[in-house]
Amino acid sequence: MPQYALVIDLNTCVGCHACATNCKEWNTQAAFGPLSDYDPYGREASGVWYNRIFTYETGEFPETQVFHLPKSCLHCQDAPCVPVCPTGASYKREQDGIVLVNYDDCIGCKLCSWACPYGCREFDEADKVMKKCTLCIDRIYDETLPPEHRQPACVLTCPARARFFGDIEDPNSEVYKLIKERNGFVLFPDMGTNPANHYLPRQETRINLEEFEKHILKPDNPLFLEVMRRHHTSSKAQAQETPQEEVTHSEELP
Amino acid sequence: MHPPISLIFFFLTAGTSIGLFIFTYFIEFLTLFGKGQGLPKEVVLVSGVISLILIGAGAIGASFHLGHKLRAWKAIKRFNTSWLSREAVFSGAYGFTLLIYLVLKYFEVSPFLEHTFGIITWILGILSGFSTAMIYASNKFVLEWNTGITVIYYLLMYLMLGSSAFTIISYFYNLPYTGTFLFLTFLFVLLGLGFRIAFNVRQFYIKRPTLNEALNLPHNRSIRVIDKSSTTDNYCTTEFYYAKGKQMLPTFIPLAYLFTFVIPLFLLIYIYVTDVVNLPLLVLIYLSILAGSAIERWCFFVEGNHVQNLFYGLYPEEGYKLRKGYMERKETRISIY
Repeated sequence: MPQYALVIDLNTCVGCHACATNCKEWNTQAAFGPLSDYDPYGREASGVWYNRIFTYETGEFPETQVFHLPKSCLHCQDAPCVPVCPTGASYKREQDGIVLVNYDDCIGCKLCSWACPYGCREFDEADKVMKKCTLCIDRIYDETLPPEHRQPACVLTCPARARFFGDIEDPNSEVYKLIKERNGFVLFPDMGTNPANHYLPRQETRINLEEFEKHILKPDNPLFLEVMRRHHTSSKAQAQETPQEEVTHSEELP
Repeated sequence: MHPPISLIFFFLTAGTSIGLFIFTYFIEFLTLFGKGQGLPKEVVLVSGVISLILIGAGAIGASFHLGHKLRAWKAIKRFNTSWLSREAVFSGAYGFTLLIYLVLKYFEVSPFLEHTFGIITWILGILSGFSTAMIYASNKFVLEWNTGITVIYYLLMYLMLGSSAFTIISYFYNLPYTGTFLFLTFLFVLLGLGFRIAFNVRQFYIKRPTLNEALNLPHNRSIRVIDKSSTTDNYCTTEFYYAKGKQMLPTFIPLAYLFTFVIPLFLLIYIYVTDVVNLPLLVLIYLSILAGSAIERWCFFVEGNHVQNLFYGLYPEEGYKLRKGYMERKETRISIY
């Protein structure tokens, strides 16, 4: 059975909130909107968002790392929000595994949000129904769009290309390969929800400076003269500082 | 968790309604086996009408926590999987069959039909209470609620409300059951107290998940929330973490114990010792249980910690701890960076 999902690369996500902003933008005007805003110009502005970006810091100072975690509905394969819904408004589509809410049937009892361990459902105070990420189902099946645009708004907008969309059950898909090759993981694996959205773990990054220098110090590089000038200036300054240091050291010696 | 006032109201009305009918019909039911004389028709009708009004008021009151009240009837659709759906079906059916039972009783059409509907209503009442309790007990993401203790003491509180209410009726109509129901109230209050203590003690020993488990990180890596996406509260933080309630909880839990269990037990012991029974005293017992139950329900919601709070750094890191031989809630450490 196909299971459409997002795969998010935590190495490249820079926490710019572009995905969340474009998600809000698209879904406010499109078929599953509007995503209401409460007191948008006031001090306590808040509203409904399908996608929220959390930032965490791990490790102890000075060896700390910061990473950003975009979190929208994970479209769980055993979605706990579906069976608890008393009206059947919450449902999982068999053809693509996307979990949706039928706004016409939703009574706004909030039980689905109680049943979601990820906090990915939000109650819209204006429409009085529960809302959640739809994986931009109104985009991905829209045949009037060019094929390369039939993707969720967050994937298209991500400037760091940290987000990927596809069928995680299809071995030929990009997302399937990414999960397999880069050990994609899920949130809260012990909760028995089997989330479809995966995250690609942080990897140690090494920059080969020799390669960098070879590239930057080529004579046809427009920055070549600038680099050479700086290099020349710094070596000159170093040469001037060296005797002073020696004097200082000699004075300090007993 | 944020306590919905309408659900607390439903608990009090449905609890008294179902509890009252359970005892009213049980005395009638015993006559089938030649035990007892049953109740006078007037008492059954008065008790039944009170139950009917209360369950009706409860159903209307409970709908106030819904976004779309007029669509509430749709809640019957997922009976196979949803405890909320089962609660809606059983509560509605309980009210409906109770009405039929009262009509049959009033017109005295047929004892067979009367008892048939009486038994059905009795069972539906218990199933309704059980389903409501299971909505909380089956939620495995609020660990404080996810236990059989929740169901048992939920039903015991229905019985406490019902037996104390029936004692008033029994005394008012000068029935020979006052002594029995004073004992039953004492028994249920005592059992309720035991299970409430068990519920609170259990919270000290729950193995709580950590943010590392939520983010699928190694357990030995320290982790801190440094940004939670928005500068103001959102649905997830207000619904699943009631900050003001958490501050008031140390005051309200003792109050809940005092009104629900301590004062009624004290008054019941006073009645046993002095052998003085009067209407104001019995009303006081019922009102104390009623007020205590309202506070207890409020505490029950606020005590619940949803695991999604982990992502916001709003989950108790160390939870509760037993110290100095008595229960004391350890200060909950909340880390928001």
